[in-house]
Amino acid sequence: MLWGSVLGGYPRSGYVRHEMRDAERGDSAFLFHEAAIALASASVIGTQVASGMRYATDGMIDFHDIFRPFARSWRNVSIDGLIRYFDNNFFYRIPVFNGEPDPARFVWASRVKAFKSISSPIGMKVVIPGPLSFLLMGKNESGLKERELGYSIAKAISLEAKAAEKAGAAVMQIDEPILSDQEINDDLGDLEVELLSIISSSIRLPTILSIYFDVPRKEIYEKIINAKVDYISLDVADSPRRAMELINAKGFGDKRPVLGLIDARRIHDDNYDKIKDMARSVAKNHEEVGITTTTWFDTIPYSFAIRKTQLLGIYLERLGNDLKLEVINPITEVR
Amino acid sequence: MTYEVPRLFPTTVVGSYPKLGNATELIKKRERGEIGEEEFHTKVRASIDEVVKDYIDAGIDILSDGEQSREDMVVYFAQRLKGYGKGDWVRIFDNVYFRKPIIKERLERAGEMIVTDWKYAESVAGGRQVKLIITGPYTMLEWSFDLFYKDREELIMDFAKIIREEVLEGIKAGARYVQVDEPALSTRPWKEEAYLLKEALKYIFNGIDAKKIIHICYGRLERILPYILDYPVDQFDLEFKNSNFRLLPYLKEYGFSKELGYGVVDVHTLQVETVDEIVEAVERLMKLDLIGPEKVYLDPDCGLKRLPRDVAKEKLSNISKAATSLRKRYG
Repeated sequence: MLWGSVLGGYPRSGYVRHEMRDAERGDSAFLFHEAAIALASASVIGTQVASGMRYATDGMIDFHDIFRPFARSWRNVSIDGLIRYFDNNFFYRIPVFNGEPDPARFVWASRVKAFKSISSPIGMKVVIPGPLSFLLMGKNESGLKERELGYSIAKAISLEAKAAEKAGAAVMQIDEPILSDQEINDDLGDLEVELLSIISSSIRLPTILSIYFDVPRKEIYEKIINAKVDYISLDVADSPRRAMELINAKGFGDKRPVLGLIDARRIHDDNYDKIKDMARSVAKNHEEVGITTTTWFDTIPYSFAIRKTQLLGIYLERLGNDLKLEVINPITEVR
Repeated sequence: MTYEVPRLFPTTVVGSYPKLGNATELIKKRERGEIGEEEFHTKVRASIDEVVKDYIDAGIDILSDGEQSREDMVVYFAQRLKGYGKGDWVRIFDNVYFRKPIIKERLERAGEMIVTDWKYAESVAGGRQVKLIITGPYTMLEWSFDLFYKDREELIMDFAKIIREEVLEGIKAGARYVQVDEPALSTRPWKEEAYLLKEALKYIFNGIDAKKIIHICYGRLERILPYILDYPVDQFDLEFKNSNFRLLPYLKEYGFSKELGYGVVDVHTLQVETVDEIVEAVERLMKLDLIGPEKVYLDPDCGLKRLPRDVAKEKLSNISKAATSLRKRYG
């Protein structure tokens, strides 16, 4: 069977961009600002529901980067200057750990409570930056050793995950783009497996480990497929040859695959025949395959993000027909 | 008037300088259609004058026009090429955006884009050489959306054709230093990407009688380095200071032997590097015993456009003072 889900966040529409700018300048009332974000979130949730997704994100419209809301909500974490986010013409602010991170408030729980009824019958997907990305893309000024800080971050994420589960999240996605860095060494690969185990052991929700911008080195991937998660999501469309070589060589172990087949960083319509070939090659070895976007929609314009969501839904349905596989679409079960 | 470039440790710039005078306002007026292209370039000359004056005051040997006409290194060209449609907003950081250009038809050069400003800068440079600087085909490709080609090789070669035409026009006008800027290359440091650009550079620089330079900065330079050393250029202009000279041992490892544009000041910090710091950075390079001082060009890591004018000028001045000191030592 097949299912679809948008991997991560959405860009901001013109209205939201201007509203956020006004808020930054003090020219917007707090409630108007919150309402604008909520409306924009509801809108992209609606797009996902209407496009036949199994899970919906709330679009993370107000996230300036994947770390920021957590860095702002955790004690002992501050933010520093800008640094390039992988190979994108996009920059994130470096989270700085001044001690053990400790959630002062939860980022996701209230969002899930607010949006789960809007996304119904589709479950809310919660997206959290993974502990290794947080550790290696941040700055350690905590006095803790790298390993100790990694464990502290994983514990903080666990608390966030537990709160989101209690609030009614349907699935937890842990984003680890840093795993696509070809310089991640074996020790870090081992550490990642330990850290993921801390998070997934704390919740009953299904967990997706999501890796994007490239695929990991084979040696790292061999370790990762033993991690305690339910799904592994790979960015396939960005470098199809490298991704399919890795998948053909190493498979997904006992994990269920999620394939990033809709290119979220380019605006042209994706080639359906290529997507079908790749999906077929994985589906023949797995009973369940998720189809997703390669990464967040952050670096394309809003209108193209909406179009790509729709395309994902259309292709999902075509794949179901062409590969003769059931497509999980919660809306069809509403009677 | 002639100016002799020092034989050892010549000093130069990467390209952009803070927008001076009314350059920013003129760019906006041109975009709003309030002034035409010709009037725009005529009026921006006052800003170029200021830039060149700063360079000369600071003691720089090989100059640029400060890219006073260019709001952005990709958008400037996209606005002047046939085949681009209006861009759409994408985020760069926080709630800050740029209008990323979209390729909608086959690309064609509509006319000269950078030679007018170059000619003017050269005319006021007191005999100093002025680099002809253009955004490279790989960066144009990567930092544009493409709705027409869907084939990166075809697209990069069309950019290469356009850039070659522009370079030839610059050469005809007298340019002796041609620099292609490729900041996007180091963000995708894979062999196949390096080879994609190599073919385009071969086309652009074939038979070009000038000093051929490629500028690459930030990203994972050490990973791309082994694949680019045989590029058809005379000089690699690279960022070093921002990454704490991490690249130096890799130059040694891969047997670097071409000319080096050595980035010795950080363009992302207001802190001005001292003359001693710059001298020390050069000594670190010279200790590797890779290339002689006649092959080392001292410059900033990248364009200076984001710095306040006084900081930018002071950084350049200290580069120049360091070069003077080093020439005495190595002369």
